[in-house]
Amino acid sequence: MIRHLTRRLTWAMVTLIAVYVITFFMVVMVPGQPFQQSDRNMPIEVERALRAQYSMDNNWLYFWEFLGGAVKLDFGPSFTYNDWTCTQIVAHALPISATIGILAILFAVLVGVPLGVISASRRNTWLDVSIVSGVLIGISLPTFVTGAALLAVFTVAWPILPIGGWGTLQHLPLPVITLSLPFIAYICRLTRMAMLDALSSDYIRTAIAKGVSPHDVLWTHALKVAFLPVLSYVGPATAQAVTGSFVVEKVFGVPGMGQHFVNAALNADAGLIMSTVLVFSVSLISLNFVIDVLYAWLDPRIIMAY
Amino acid sequence: MTAFRPFTWVGSTLAIALVFAFFTSTQETPADFRYVNSSGVHTLDPARMSWSQDFRVALNIWEGLTTSDPRTTQAQAGAAMFPPQLSSDQLTYTFTIREDARWSNGDPVLASDYIRGWRRGMEPGTGTDYTFLFTDNVAGASEYVHWRQRATGALTAMDRLRHGWDIDEQAALSLSRHPIFHDIQPHLPPSFFTDFDRDQGVALAKQLSASTLDWGDLYQRTFDQHVAKMDQRFSTVGLEAADDKTLVVRLLRPCPYFLDLTSFPSFLPCHASVELLRESVAGLTPEGLVVYDPQWTKPGCRKNGYPGLITNGPYYVSDWKFKRRLRMSANPFHRAFDTISSRTIDMLVYENTSVALMAYEAGEVDFLPGMDVPYDHEIAKLAQTGQRPDFHICKTFATYFMSFNCIDKRIEDRPNPFIDARVRRAFALAVDKNAIVNAVLQRGDLVAHTFIPPDALQGYHSSSGIQMDVAKAKQLLDEAGYPDGNNLPAVTLLYVPSDERVCQALARMWETNLGATVELRCQETKSFAEDKANHRFMIARGNWYGDYYDPTTFLDCFNTGNGNNDSGYSNEAYDKLLNRARNTANTTQRLSLLAQAERIIVEKDFPIIPLLHYSSPIAIKPYVSGLYPNPRLRFPFRYVSVDR
Amino acid sequence: MQSGAADNLVHTRQSRWSRFRANRLAMVSLFVFASVLLIVLTTLPWTTRWYNIQSLDSAVRAAPMISPVVTFEAYGVALNPSEVSGWPKLSRLMWQTTSWMGHDDLGRSLFHRILPATLLSLIIGGCAAFIAVVVGSTWGAAAALLGGRADAVMMRMVDVLYSLPYILMVILMKVAITRPLTSLLDGHAMLAQLIILIVAIGGVSWLTLARVVRGQVLSLRTQPFVEAARANGAGVFYLLRRHILPNVAGPIVIYATLVIPQAILQESFLSFLGIGVQQPIPSLGRLAADGVEAVNAFVGFWWLIAYPCGALVVTLIALNFIGDGLRDAIDPKSAQETLL
Repeated sequence: MIRHLTRRLTWAMVTLIAVYVITFFMVVMVPGQPFQQSDRNMPIEVERALRAQYSMDNNWLYFWEFLGGAVKLDFGPSFTYNDWTCTQIVAHALPISATIGILAILFAVLVGVPLGVISASRRNTWLDVSIVSGVLIGISLPTFVTGAALLAVFTVAWPILPIGGWGTLQHLPLPVITLSLPFIAYICRLTRMAMLDALSSDYIRTAIAKGVSPHDVLWTHALKVAFLPVLSYVGPATAQAVTGSFVVEKVFGVPGMGQHFVNAALNADAGLIMSTVLVFSVSLISLNFVIDVLYAWLDPRIIMAY
Repeated sequence: MTAFRPFTWVGSTLAIALVFAFFTSTQETPADFRYVNSSGVHTLDPARMSWSQDFRVALNIWEGLTTSDPRTTQAQAGAAMFPPQLSSDQLTYTFTIREDARWSNGDPVLASDYIRGWRRGMEPGTGTDYTFLFTDNVAGASEYVHWRQRATGALTAMDRLRHGWDIDEQAALSLSRHPIFHDIQPHLPPSFFTDFDRDQGVALAKQLSASTLDWGDLYQRTFDQHVAKMDQRFSTVGLEAADDKTLVVRLLRPCPYFLDLTSFPSFLPCHASVELLRESVAGLTPEGLVVYDPQWTKPGCRKNGYPGLITNGPYYVSDWKFKRRLRMSANPFHRAFDTISSRTIDMLVYENTSVALMAYEAGEVDFLPGMDVPYDHEIAKLAQTGQRPDFHICKTFATYFMSFNCIDKRIEDRPNPFIDARVRRAFALAVDKNAIVNAVLQRGDLVAHTFIPPDALQGYHSSSGIQMDVAKAKQLLDEAGYPDGNNLPAVTLLYVPSDERVCQALARMWETNLGATVELRCQETKSFAEDKANHRFMIARGNWYGDYYDPTTFLDCFNTGNGNNDSGYSNEAYDKLLNRARNTANTTQRLSLLAQAERIIVEKDFPIIPLLHYSSPIAIKPYVSGLYPNPRLRFPFRYVSVDR
Repeated sequence: MQSGAADNLVHTRQSRWSRFRANRLAMVSLFVFASVLLIVLTTLPWTTRWYNIQSLDSAVRAAPMISPVVTFEAYGVALNPSEVSGWPKLSRLMWQTTSWMGHDDLGRSLFHRILPATLLSLIIGGCAAFIAVVVGSTWGAAAALLGGRADAVMMRMVDVLYSLPYILMVILMKVAITRPLTSLLDGHAMLAQLIILIVAIGGVSWLTLARVVRGQVLSLRTQPFVEAARANGAGVFYLLRRHILPNVAGPIVIYATLVIPQAILQESFLSFLGIGVQQPIPSLGRLAADGVEAVNAFVGFWWLIAYPCGALVVTLIALNFIGDGLRDAIDPKSAQETLL
């Protein structure tokens, strides 16, 4: 067990370093002059000097300096938002995105898993078909459409929630629901398939033969196995949800992380690009690690497979 | 089930508890007056600002020597007595700062605070877009700034060399322009003496990179000399604190709009405590820049004993949450404190302007200084028909245009037809500006036939420009050797996503009216700016906001060699007219010379096609008084009172 | 997941098709999808000419109507009998449809834009899926067959790419490569943009498939019939061709049908960010994003959002149902892996 975990941990570190290297090369390749804020051009001497000041005139030096800073959680200045360091920006935005993301994933699991179980247990009935179709519609609509529709319904047509922004509990439901919709759909599909698989397996037949009640067979015996693929999906999904969604943040005016993934790249803001990537990768890798541990605890056979 | 049930329940309870804790700890009381800055504030450093939403905050938390009238935005009294003394040759202003002018910590506002602020506006590193306001007007500023820039270039180059890194031709050129080059030159082959072209620059860069000179020593010598001379050099700039409260400004030439300039953010003062956050050895970075810790604009910054941001305006920043909210509170030391009715002001951030508008409709916000929503045409209609008296349309002092690349013969291996003024003119004649303004945009903008918004400046009479004339356009194209658009290479139109509609319509007009092939190129803002600055375009979108009330704020853009002359336009007659106007003291004469210059652009040479002068819709709740729509979108909040 | 690859040997092809046919939803979807494709393709001669006909007067944001708002003359160029090679009647018919779905903010017929947009979205989805399938299955199969150290390294690379935030990578890629590629293509900016879009979307979709294929191939390698063939002295290529590829084809096909709708959605997301397909060429995502922007509390331009979203949903649901049906038909057991 311990050996397994240390190995995973080492791999996680290697992955992280590789992510940093790849991102760095991407950043260096991106054109655009980060210091110029408006349409007006900057004297070339000053531009050169600023580049040199941030070690951006020497990629090798920049590589090490940024890495050195990143280890101490100091991601350097942001060139888009002059008055803020990247660390401050992440510190402001991440808790907001994380709140929405964790709630969205919880909501998705609490809704998606039962839906999947019900749909699997009533295979090929109208209930199953309508759940499956509903789920597919959920996957087929872009988030910006569902978000806009929810916004129109709950703030304009039937104004029970605030429009957008952040700060009170009432600001939560719409972004959380919008963000969770695709996750619900996915988790539901996964559960349904895994349940179908589980229900046709020998030990379920044994359980039924032994006279376990259908309810217990479904919700205890079968779901226990069927939950494993959901669990391995939830890991990366949480990382994605926690680091924010550009669309949800844009539609509901939430000041989270998602916008920085897009804006940093569009603004050629090197420091912000790398800090957002690192935040994403670290959360993804660590969540995968946690899922690994959970997996091993739920199903000790897994370790043997490695 | 037993395995994961506890997980879900423990997890969800934990999360919900966390969320509650998070929100109860951040409950905020609403401010007296709330408005929206769509994308938030980029910076609160007045020397670095370029965006009007930043200006808006700056002009409320700082106070210049003059300020602007809330209705007309003309200069009025600020921190100094108004009007200041002007010498008979119109070259020397003597500002006397009011005795009761105080910083938000109670310190008196001194003349030296203004010099500090203005110097930050000029120095390479701290000053950015608006350095030219000083170099164009204040005596000696241009020399000082160029001396500093030259040194910066040379120091940056030598700093690389002393680390053993190669330099490129640009760095070599910078180095060759610095006096230290006299010491370096003898060690180089004799071919390098005077001005270099690009190839020689490359060769020089190689020579310098390979030379075995003691760069460490050379660098240190240059750096020390430069630092030693800095204050003495700065004293040649026409800024002088005659005593604590008297600021004497010597101008380069008479400047009829100088008092308007002094209300501009670049001319704001700076509190002495900022020096605590200067980040550098002996006042400069190794590259020769003056740099402050950007945290100085934070009210909560306590580094090096810094007391947090101190300002001298009617408000001070009491709290700033990134991309969420900036709260301003009335400055108890400001002389008008007792008359300020809105004691706290919240600047809220909604990245999505539609959401901002909905928040306004729901009464969560009192004022929208811009409604840049995708359906702004509906807003304009509601405002124009009077259905919504709280929607106002501000005719802004700004122009939206398409600019041509006038100098590069080839672009991306295609010949550039627009070096021929006839082709530019033909393209301008083939544009149906009315359709763009009234059908495509429908926001009530003003159709532009000139570069400068007409009737915005007193005593300045713009020319009439040209009207659409497809037949004439075809004839001109024929004369230029492209009958019916034949032989015309595919024309590229470069723009940013917000121009999508206009540019698609323009492309279609040129295709149907002239038979041209137009290739649309929508780019992200940053790559757009880079391509435009490097002349990698044939036609590109552009816009210009006038910074002060004078035609030169627009016309200087097309001066040969001006940093913002992206079309590379150059006309001797035009430059001469501008120069003559610069040295003409008589206002009427001066304005008529400038009008002649404008005529060259909009009736003869067409480096640009002016399309429209922006109309900006704003929304003010009916219960708010003291806010007035104005062309520069300046809104001093100290006059605002809210009576819900 | 240890799934019995032996269950689904090649000779079950017949039963697969009957199983698919039994799935009513999938059959209906197949029919819907085929008719969408047919309509889109047959109208192509007109829509390619008409999608950008602007009418900057009465037609700007005109609501849907049965009879056209735009005059015949505006479409005159395309109605010239010599140009449509003797099909003026059909042209007339097409022109009748002009205002069926209303007009956009430049007075263009939404109907004439949605048709080519659907095709373009399908092309983007198809090409991205193709890239994903080729790269993913090659990578996965190679990793599994090479085994050992090479396998470990190759799968770690997949892990690393998984750990990158894909949207940021797509934007960076797009920003970084657009210019060099444009100059490589002699300034054909539109083509360059399209290629980058497809490569970017395909480039992030192959990772999952690589994992799936590797898993399948690994489990196949230990199957008795493969080992028997190997014992009989079969070469690697023979094994691949005769035993492995036919048996992993199922998951690959399933995955491909699921990647197409995903890629179309990705494109719509990029369009929402304003970095999708270069205008004036329409894609469904672009039209939907434009429609969302036009929605407001004052005037409802409902057709600008309803029709593009309708087209998007119909296409994607059809594709998804077909994919689901295929999966149930081909391989009900190992199916869930393709979802991960």
